[in-house]
Parts: sequence; structure tokens; C-alpha cells
Amino acid sequence: MDPDDDSPPTDAAAALRLIQDQRSATARRLDPDARLVYWPWGVAWLVGFGLFFLRFPPGDRALVHLPSWLPLTVLFVLLAAAGATQAVVSTRAYGQVTGDSARRGQWYGYAWALGSVSVYAGLGRISEHLPHDLAALLWSATAVGLTGALHMAGGAVWLDRDLFRLGVWVSVINLIGAIAGPGWHALVVAVAGGGGILVVGMLARRRQRQRQQP
Amino acid sequence: MTELDPVIHAQARLRVIASLSALNVGDKIAFPRLQELLAMTAGNLSVHLRKLEDAGYVEISKTHRGRTPATLVGLSRRGRLAFEEYTEAIRALLDPTPSKEQ
Repeated sequence: MDPDDDSPPTDAAAALRLIQDQRSATARRLDPDARLVYWPWGVAWLVGFGLFFLRFPPGDRALVHLPSWLPLTVLFVLLAAAGATQAVVSTRAYGQVTGDSARRGQWYGYAWALGSVSVYAGLGRISEHLPHDLAALLWSATAVGLTGALHMAGGAVWLDRDLFRLGVWVSVINLIGAIAGPGWHALVVAVAGGGGILVVGMLARRRQRQRQQP
Repeated sequence: MTELDPVIHAQARLRVIASLSALNVGDKIAFPRLQELLAMTAGNLSVHLRKLEDAGYVEISKTHRGRTPATLVGLSRRGRLAFEEYTEAIRALLDPTPSKEQ
């Protein structure tokens, strides 16, 4: 170790540089790359709902002949992968930080988990009595609606403009998709929803870069 | 011109306090992670943390995570204020034109 590290910085400029470098280096290490947080979800929506649209478009004929189990399986696998990626990236970044931020994250996580279970339990009871296309619309519109609401709530908790705007966007396109009806909803969610997440990931990354500049 | 705070005005402690200031208010960081962020030895970091703690700038708490003991370090309200005042004083030295904005 530097034996002189008890000595003062050489001058004011050096002190300020030291402060700025250290703060930006710490922020860089404690802030997970926004692309790794957002993009896996964007890809999951784009590919998962995209395949769903191609297999179950409006009307009775599939646009692309895929096994009927494939779209949902791909969607769930990609969603799980996105969740796992986010968990790993966040743990690596905030894993050793405790306090108010950790508590916020934890409670927000509970809201997702419990909110999903309570909403889907009701859906499960109803959707078995619906025709396939309406059941699919009910499930996806509810899931996407819940996601939009929780993103807005997350934006409010962390005063995160990107997350809040994404929540607004997802809620609006969900509304449009639901009005457009079965089949179309998947297309809207895939293109506007998945694409929107990818764009927000890019914007959030750019904002992060500016913040981390020394 | 205000005197520069001697507790903060030392390279190592300035680095420690600048790093801690990047945490959100109310957050603490585990000792090994802080050590890794600063690339300091455990002994060296402990010495400087003790000086900062004696000045009331840093709060150190010992807890248990499962069975392993963990030391958590965070900036106190007073430490954050002292750091802000120090940064302001440095900026004033660099740009002596009086201005209300930082």
C-alpha cells in the first residue's frame, strides 16, 4: 500500500479529481448495466409473443406451422432466462449493499410475486370456461397489464424516469392490443412491447453512462 | 476561506468517504466489498475507517448473515454533510468567484 496515503492530495484540483473518479468508479460497480437488466425481457417478449402471433393469429389459420405447444414454451423459457439474468446481475451489483435500497428491492419483489399469484389464481378459474383465443387474450392482457402497473410503481419507488415511462407505454399498448382483440394483442405486445423494452434499455444505458462519467 | 477538514483531507480517507457517498442515503456496504472497490488492504482500510468513525463520519455495524459475521459500513448524516462541505470548499478554491450554486 501507498505509505503516503495519509498525506493530503497535492492540490485542490487533485482532490476534486480524486472525488469524482472514486464516486464514478463506485457508481459504475454498484449500478448493473441497464442493457443486461432490460434487454433479456425485450427479447423474451419479442420472440415469445411473436411466435404466439405467428401460430395463433386472428382467424383460424396459422401463419407459420409450428407445434401448438412451442410459442408458450419459448415464451416461458425466455422469461425465466430474463429473470435469472436480472437476479445474477443485480446480486453481483447490490449483493453486498444493505439498507433502505435493499428493502425497497425486496418489497418490490414481493409485490411482483404475490401480485402475480393472486391475479393468476383467479384467471385460472375463469379461463378454463373460455374458448382458446379469448383465454389467451385474458391471460396475456392481464399479465402485460400487471407488468405495466408494476413498472410504473417501480418508477415511483426509485424515481426512475425510464422505468416509469416504460410502465406507461406497456399499459397503453396493452389497452390498444386488448381492444384490437385476440391474435392482434400478441402482435402489438411483441413488436411495440418487446421493442419498447429494448429502446428503454438503450436509453437507460445512455443515462447511466452520463451519470458515471467522472 | 474555511479550513479544510483534516479528517477528510487525506488521500486514503477521501477515497473512502467519496466511495461511501456514492451509496444511497440509508445504505451500508459490506466491508469486503468496500475493500474491493477501493483496492486497499483490510488493515489499512480498518485504520482509516476507525479515524472516520471517531470523527462521527462513518457508522460501522456488526451483524450476522446466517452464521457468518458481517461488518457493514455507511456514511453518517454528519459524514455526508462534512463531505459535502469539503467538496464545496475544494470547488471554491478552484473557482473563487462567489456563486450560490455549487
